Amino acid sequence: MAGSQPFSVPLGGGLNKSTNSLNLLQTPGVATKLRNFEVSTEGGYRRINGFSLFGDTLPNTTNDVEGLLVYADGVLAVVGDDIFFSQDGESTWLQLNKASVASSGDNFSTFSGRSELALTGIDQCEFAIFEGTSDYGEVIITDKSGNNKPFLFKMTGTSANLSARTYFTSQITISGSTKAKFCTIHDQHLVVAGDPTTPNTIYYSGTNDIDSFSSTGSGSITLEDKVVGLKSFRNELFIFCQNSIFKLQNINNSSTVAVVPVTKNVGCLDGQTIQEIAGDLIFLAPDGFRTVAGTSRIGDVELGTISQAIQPLINDIAAAANTLQFSSVVLRDKSQYRMFYSTSSDTAATSKGIIGTLRPKGFEWSETLGIQAPAITSGFDSTGTEKVYHGDRDGKIYNHNTGNNFNGANIEAEYQSPDYDYGDLGTLKTLDYAKISFTPEGDAQPTLRIRFDYDSLDTPQPADVVLTEIPEPAIFGLALFGSQKFGASEQPLVRQSLTGSGHSNFFKIFSADTNAPYSINGLYINYRPSGRQ
Amino acid sequence: MATTYLDLSNEVLRELNEVVMTSGTFSSATGIQSFVKDAINKSIFDIANEEPQLPFFSAGASGGTDPFYGNVTVASVAGTRWYTLKTDSSSITTDYSSVDWDDFYLTTINVSGETTPYVSKGLKFLTLTDWKRYYRDSENSDDAEGSDASHGEPVYVIKSPDHRKFGLSPIPDKVYNVHFYAFAKPTALSAYNDTIVMPEQYSNVITARTRYYVHQFKENLQQASFALDEYKKNMRTMKSNLINPTPKYMSDDRTYF
Repeated sequence: MAGSQPFSVPLGGGLNKSTNSLNLLQTPGVATKLRNFEVSTEGGYRRINGFSLFGDTLPNTTNDVEGLLVYADGVLAVVGDDIFFSQDGESTWLQLNKASVASSGDNFSTFSGRSELALTGIDQCEFAIFEGTSDYGEVIITDKSGNNKPFLFKMTGTSANLSARTYFTSQITISGSTKAKFCTIHDQHLVVAGDPTTPNTIYYSGTNDIDSFSSTGSGSITLEDKVVGLKSFRNELFIFCQNSIFKLQNINNSSTVAVVPVTKNVGCLDGQTIQEIAGDLIFLAPDGFRTVAGTSRIGDVELGTISQAIQPLINDIAAAANTLQFSSVVLRDKSQYRMFYSTSSDTAATSKGIIGTLRPKGFEWSETLGIQAPAITSGFDSTGTEKVYHGDRDGKIYNHNTGNNFNGANIEAEYQSPDYDYGDLGTLKTLDYAKISFTPEGDAQPTLRIRFDYDSLDTPQPADVVLTEIPEPAIFGLALFGSQKFGASEQPLVRQSLTGSGHSNFFKIFSADTNAPYSINGLYINYRPSGRQ
Repeated sequence: MATTYLDLSNEVLRELNEVVMTSGTFSSATGIQSFVKDAINKSIFDIANEEPQLPFFSAGASGGTDPFYGNVTVASVAGTRWYTLKTDSSSITTDYSSVDWDDFYLTTINVSGETTPYVSKGLKFLTLTDWKRYYRDSENSDDAEGSDASHGEPVYVIKSPDHRKFGLSPIPDKVYNVHFYAFAKPTALSAYNDTIVMPEQYSNVITARTRYYVHQFKENLQQASFALDEYKKNMRTMKSNLINPTPKYMSDDRTYF
């Protein structure tokens, strides 16, 4: 047989769980496992950042965090049955659900001294911000319990000191004792839905009068399906129902206001999965992630899905949707949509998520494990900085996507390639060495594992190899003396001798540590074909 | 320290860039590892087949029972011609692999009741064909008639057609000790810590032969050819070192010209 042969693979395409092993031979860059990695916007796969506590003070002991919102210069958090605000999480959080607050607003001391406004059995929350003309906008909070009226909060004053600000709160009456689970601001109106007794009805407030559902411009429309989410998108309001999607048009013209069906074949599994990204609405349907524009244009159940590559994963989620709590967020600087899901009995270690990164050819996917985020938010604070926070079921709020660990715990990341047959599945190949292209962001020590013949028990499998020689490069203008390695490449090719032979093999690169993130850009493998046994 | 089966296997696997075994995984080896294990035993058998009288295949230490006269001793019985070469062997599968037929020795030294002058002489090897032609009929006739006229001090040693026995001619008239050199069959290695019988310096003969088989298995005929050449060279060197290490000279004992 011939001498040694080269084989190189640029990594890309993300997680692929819906293609059979032989078809995967044609797409060597995708991953069959991609956990706690994200598809990098620059190509390749990057181990994700971790998360760290937002301050050292819990808002409300260890109650579940039901909702978070980046607001003003801090975070608004719904924890247990109460609502709080803090700039840094370091000192006692300011409780916001207060009763009898003056319509002209309370100063800090008056507001703090008000009695508590009792809210009942709060579940996962939705937030809507009516920017209006106030300093930070007005926040409307609804929750999934269906027990509570929409809660309105506004804070004014630009002083850094909370004691110098003015606070406004109230509960919005829709109609009698009507409650709401979902809310959004659309074209000068607050739109709510999800009252347990009228689950098919949406209510919209008066024009530029978000706390009145009886003033001019207000109204309600009853649909044929149960509403599970609302999202304003461009000049239309999309109404996500269990088995259908509608859009509300012309809300400001009572003679032409209309609800138009987008599709009656596809519904939304959970309103918490709806996000706007890259000029589209993305949501989780029973058959996968879909984009509204795509569904609207195509009008077909299958063609609109953007997650065929992870369909088995979606099927598992859809099958257990009734027991799962969902949350989602968009990380704008990464062009990423992240959805987290877990049951109420899941620990942080068993909580999962899906990351979709928008790439030129569409969304590419990966998974997370170890991030419990029933509440998550991203947004720009009053300084224009994008902040991302998530909260767990232990009452803790974290800075999301930061640091090298999961609040001190190891990040267990793994990438696994498809089996490579090097062009001929029938030929036995002996591996000589691999050169792995990394982009380390600090010292990294991932482990390389190779398995031959689809991890066959009948083929000797080599021992794992720790890749210890991935130094953090010294970049001019960024490097610190003694921290980085002079002369190290910015994107080193790590050469690793390999052992073993088989007809095909896959590579797995994994780490479970608190080292800095690293990206895997591609693989170069040198092998020797040796017969067709 | 003697080379173990595991050492040898891993040496070959490393040379081939294959996954090595441990003492724990040795018994459950699969694929190429299992093939290498098999090939090592096959290589050892090849060596034994090619040169069964290599010293490390010796059935025992020479002179173990009687100094200077071999490593196996069989006592003759008056009136009995044929003796099993390996007394405790039940079949040819457990017999010696080779016997030095040119080095049988007959003596009465250490035979009970014998005194000086002792009989002490080499036995000439006589082919079965010649024995049948010149001696068998007469010796057997006497024996069958109950006569011991043809019994006497053996002069020849003959090999039985099944290779399991040696015969003496004439039929011994009393007890003699017959000494000879025998070589054992190699035993297939099995456990990871089984050791090879040869000195470690010659283990490369085994590994070269093993690589020859593995490269054939991998259809790498060029490498197989290289490995075969290496095996032949190593085998030649080993035989040269171990079989003919003594000075070579020629003598001429002709007295009449």
